[in-house]
Amino acid sequence: MKNQLSIIRTSFLVLLSVFMVTMSFAQKVKKNKVRLSVSYTKIMDGELYFDIKATSKIKNKNTFIPNLDLTIYNVLNDEEIKIGKITTNMDGKGRLVLPKLDSIHADSTNTYTILVKFKGNASFKKAKKSINFKNANIKASIIKKDSINFIQATLIETSLNMPLSEATLNVQVQRLFKSLKIGKDFYTTDENGTILVSIPTDIPGIDGILTFEVVLADSDNYGTVKAMVTAPLGTQIVQDNDFYKREMWSPRDKTPLFLLIFPNLLTFAVWGIIIYLILNLIKLSKLNN
Amino acid sequence: MKNYDKLLNDLAPQKFGKAGVIWTSSLIVIIIIGLIAYIDQIRKGLVVTNLNDYALWGIYISNFVFFVATSFVASVTVAVLRLTNNSWRTPIVRIAEIIAVACIIMAGLTIMIDMGRPDRLLNLFIYGRMQSPIIWDVIIIPTFMIISLLLLYFPLLPDLAILKTHFKEKNPTLSKWYGRLSLNWTGNPKQTKIQLKSIKIVALLILITGIILQTIDAWLFSTLFRVGWDSTNMGAYFVSGAAVAGLGALVTVVYVLRRAYKLENYITNIHFDKLGKFLALACLVYLYFNINEYLIPEFTSKKEEISHLNLLIDGQFAPLFWLVIIGGLIIPTIILLFKKGRTPFSIFVVGLLVVIGSWWKRYLIVTPTLLHPFLPIQGVPKSWQHYFPSWHEWIITIATLAMALLIITILVRFLPIIPIEKTANEQELLNKNTNS
Repeated sequence: MKNQLSIIRTSFLVLLSVFMVTMSFAQKVKKNKVRLSVSYTKIMDGELYFDIKATSKIKNKNTFIPNLDLTIYNVLNDEEIKIGKITTNMDGKGRLVLPKLDSIHADSTNTYTILVKFKGNASFKKAKKSINFKNANIKASIIKKDSINFIQATLIETSLNMPLSEATLNVQVQRLFKSLKIGKDFYTTDENGTILVSIPTDIPGIDGILTFEVVLADSDNYGTVKAMVTAPLGTQIVQDNDFYKREMWSPRDKTPLFLLIFPNLLTFAVWGIIIYLILNLIKLSKLNN
Repeated sequence: MKNYDKLLNDLAPQKFGKAGVIWTSSLIVIIIIGLIAYIDQIRKGLVVTNLNDYALWGIYISNFVFFVATSFVASVTVAVLRLTNNSWRTPIVRIAEIIAVACIIMAGLTIMIDMGRPDRLLNLFIYGRMQSPIIWDVIIIPTFMIISLLLLYFPLLPDLAILKTHFKEKNPTLSKWYGRLSLNWTGNPKQTKIQLKSIKIVALLILITGIILQTIDAWLFSTLFRVGWDSTNMGAYFVSGAAVAGLGALVTVVYVLRRAYKLENYITNIHFDKLGKFLALACLVYLYFNINEYLIPEFTSKKEEISHLNLLIDGQFAPLFWLVIIGGLIIPTIILLFKKGRTPFSIFVVGLLVVIGSWWKRYLIVTPTLLHPFLPIQGVPKSWQHYFPSWHEWIITIATLAMALLIITILVRFLPIIPIEKTANEQELLNKNTNS
């Protein structure tokens, strides 16, 4: 009898263990892998930021993962220094903005290492992604030669204070939705790390003011570096603004005059006759003798 | 003093018979059911309808356009026949005036039924823009309503005075009401002069405002840049369509009243023959504008126009479209072109076909265009591509039609359908001419 009870107890414990193990395994299986991507952008004389994107392959489809808590570290000699925390938005994206590059540190090779970590949660496995970059500057200015305006830009590696040759730079002008490239798709820096691009004279701008951008885009070593120059080199936009005019689509206080005059004239004329007819009715009631 | 005895015996308002009581009670029951459905719509909102972001105008607006069109009956019959001195109009003008009053009242009410928040009606006046035809519509409908009432009222004055005397002993309360409404009418030369002058003015006014009303109604559509509506033909198309709807309603009601009140001596076959010719003319004019409306886009073959026309000609709405064009317009015209087709009963059948056709025609003007937006249908519920009225919409719409019929019934119950005094004058003149 004692033996039988022991067998039953043991069997129950075995079954329970199997069930528990299967349960935890099943839960693990359900978790999806998160893919993190990080890009670094520096705006000259401005802020710098890290754009982070979280995706996962769910049902064979790349899906952006929203509401993911990510921690960002500056790695220095195997030491992880926390520099910020973000939560991905509905598009699975997040941005950590730093006011200056001085707030993070480079290693002995002047390389900055940034690590993004996700701790994992009930739905997703933990994940991490790191990027390395060096600091580079773009010095951009407008110069005039033979009454033609040029953008002159020089790309310099800051740690060595050396110009970077054979690098490709984009030159573009800011527009409302997306910047417009000027001239060629890209320009290659010469031995002095410099490019010289002529500015067309027919670019429209509000009050003729244009903002030019010189961009080192997605460089493996330096990330994205952007320099901006503002100059009154555009053609004036003459705004054809009919907001204050009397138009068919204006608000009621700007009704076109003909639409104020004629319908009102018609309305008052018809109602004038109606009032006359009603007065006739009153007159009729008094003419009974 | 003329002898009105025979005329009063035939034409004075009579109490409802058994059929009249059943008819009126049935209308009241339908209206009550409609009222319950409308209260439910107010409580729950337009969600009880099948209206959606695409079909934002549905059966209510079709019904509104139908009422507006039918109210044009007063302009075509009373004003046109008066201004062209057609003396045969006498026994039918009051019926036309009554139909016009009933329809324009119901047009005003129907447009409010279409509003999800009728309590915000005042906002139309507060925030309305004179650039919008909707505001013109808001102005013209009450204006036309008042003019229709005046057109009914001025010629009624002598008859109300006659009825006051007639009912003095039979029904003193009714007599008192007739007395008040007759505005102390004695028929003295001064009163007659003012009355005749006023009738002339109001007849001219109803013709002008009638055309304005129909045109504004057309512009509600044609000022929108939508396939099927964006047409310069629309104003004339609506005016001619309104003449068809109005005359169709008139011949139907005239036939029913003639039979119900045994008015064969007053509304003769000649009247039906003339009305039939008038309706045939209206149908032909409307057919002409229909050809303009559909044939030109077919020729120019703009992509959107063609897909809209396909929807009508051999698509989803084809059965209804051909039923309306053939059954509601071509067949009635053919019937009316023959003398045998202008007998009272065949005109009654034609009138019914025309009225039913006119109602569905408005549905075809409103709905297919809405289901055919310029922007491609993407990322919206599939149900938005189709529209068919919900039970709430049907019940409320049927109730509004019943209410128009109830207004006509009540007016017919208390007012002489055929002008007594004018008929007496005409008979006197006829007798004089015969004797001389």
